[in-house]
Amino acid sequence: MNFAFSEEQEELRRSVRRFLADRSPMAEVRRLMETTDGFDRPVWAQMANQLGLQSLVVPEAYGGAGFGFVELAVVLEETGAALLGAPLFATVALATTALMASGDEAAMADLLPGIAAGETIATVALTEDSGRWDLDGVSLAATARDGRWVLDGHKMFVLDGHVADLILVAARTERGMSLFAVEGTADGLTRTPLPTMDQTRKQARLELASTPGRLVGEDGGAGPVLARMLDLAAVALAAEQVGGAQRCLDMAVDYAKNRIQFGRPIGSFQAIKHKCADMLLQVESAKSAAYYGAWAAADGSDELPVVASLAKSYCSEAYFHCAAENIQIHGGIGFTWEHDAHLYFKRAKSSELLLGDPAYHRELLAQRIGI
Amino acid sequence: MNVVVCVKQIPDPAAPGALDPQSHTLVREGKLILDDSDAYGVEMGLQLAGDAGEVTLVSMAPNQEVSGVRTALAMGAAKAIVVSDPALKGSDALSTAKVLAKAIERVGADLILAATESTDGYTGTTPVQVAELLGLPSVTFAKKVTVSDGKVRVERQTEAGFDEVECPMPCLVTVTAGVVEPRYPSFKGIMAAKSKPVDQLTVADLGLDASSVGAAGARQEITSVAAAEARGGGDIVVDEGDAHERIVQFLEQLKLV
Repeated sequence: MNFAFSEEQEELRRSVRRFLADRSPMAEVRRLMETTDGFDRPVWAQMANQLGLQSLVVPEAYGGAGFGFVELAVVLEETGAALLGAPLFATVALATTALMASGDEAAMADLLPGIAAGETIATVALTEDSGRWDLDGVSLAATARDGRWVLDGHKMFVLDGHVADLILVAARTERGMSLFAVEGTADGLTRTPLPTMDQTRKQARLELASTPGRLVGEDGGAGPVLARMLDLAAVALAAEQVGGAQRCLDMAVDYAKNRIQFGRPIGSFQAIKHKCADMLLQVESAKSAAYYGAWAAADGSDELPVVASLAKSYCSEAYFHCAAENIQIHGGIGFTWEHDAHLYFKRAKSSELLLGDPAYHRELLAQRIGI
Repeated sequence: MNVVVCVKQIPDPAAPGALDPQSHTLVREGKLILDDSDAYGVEMGLQLAGDAGEVTLVSMAPNQEVSGVRTALAMGAAKAIVVSDPALKGSDALSTAKVLAKAIERVGADLILAATESTDGYTGTTPVQVAELLGLPSVTFAKKVTVSDGKVRVERQTEAGFDEVECPMPCLVTVTAGVVEPRYPSFKGIMAAKSKPVDQLTVADLGLDASSVGAAGARQEITSVAAAEARGGGDIVVDEGDAHERIVQFLEQLKLV
């Protein structure tokens, strides 16, 4: 196996980085984070029409480009570094992977082309009040009524749930865990944006009252589908976290070289050097874990569940560590609203908890390797 | 319509540049990237060529370098000619123009596009020399380009505004940044660029005499290089009732008002 990125993958990275620098600079991130939707539709359209980010991992048969998770990881590393405000993670890492894991060909043929074209913003609604990212936390009920499925209950912390055109809802039927496609405009669906500490990633509460849904996959068969989606999403998030952590390290090192105190750059002081060295160590280790996860996802490796939890737990802590140390190295200015350090700190914290915190994933890891 | 776009592959501007201590020319070793200012010409070319025509890239580069050309191919250009030859080392703008003109002759273009100047050399003289050598008219500093009835209509940027210029084709047009927004290559485009034809040619392939190009044919010589002047202190305007006038004067000088 070869973990070096190909020249083409590096070219993709440059293309995405340039796009984000031009179309999603920090001023734009700050403008959008104050809005309810949290993203810019022309930018979203350009992501689809020119860069093809929404279609990257969608198979060609369903209107996508048919590339793999390594390419997706490259993209998410860049969007994570730029704190892109857009429903990309929810659409590609959650909804697309869930649909593809479902194996429901009719649903894929109906729903994936819209996602690939950037016309459908999609998400997965799994978590409820407990905030648990496992299937035990799901109590929302689906019942068959007059030959169609209706859903009753509510979901919490749904990523981009208030703007999604398509929501894949995890619900319980008599046969067990099932997945339903619910339209954003469906009857009986009430969507409320939630205040989030990390304003660059939006969440919503969804209230479903006799809301019609389309069964995706088998009735009672969504357990393995959601499990696979969660593993793939963990790897995708780890890639985002690596991008953010690297950006924090870059900001800190840059400042340490330029900020003069006591007549010399603060980076020449051992206390600062050690902090930067520790950040570098964590960033590099996080990269190894996230890239290994991306490879395992792309290659269909049996190791995926193990590596996913390993990457998610390690990258979560590495990102948070780097974001926190970045503020320390910046000193007073790092603690101001005007400086971007706090935006990374908040993204690092929300990403640490998203899909389950490091302790949860270490427990999963222990179980998965049979300890 | 077939469009040729002249592109230059340059050292990454983000990396610190260096001059060769003997020849005082730019060190252009290692990996080169597509000059950002050329992306506008490529995009303009793609838009003007449309579905019926195609865009051909022409570039002169050291060491058969193609990585920057691949970026432009990933945007959608159909093919490329890259001229590489040890004899081209030390070329001045005119030598470069000779090489590009010969390469363009092989393609046969309705329209040739180039940037107004490169980001590493900044001479800004190569494109018009190419046009002269090809015996074609040229229009520089285009901020808008449209084509109809075998003519190109250009809004030509001037200090005060713009001139409207009409020119029969074939011709050469240099475009400014902002003429169009260059597209961002997708991974699909990047992968497709891998298999697009890149014609690698030498000076001999073009039928040029090696003594007429490169250091041997150069008509210019850089005799010395001086460090840029350090930025001086700003002017402090003390308001004696006329500060607003002096500020307006200052802005007028910069052509900002």
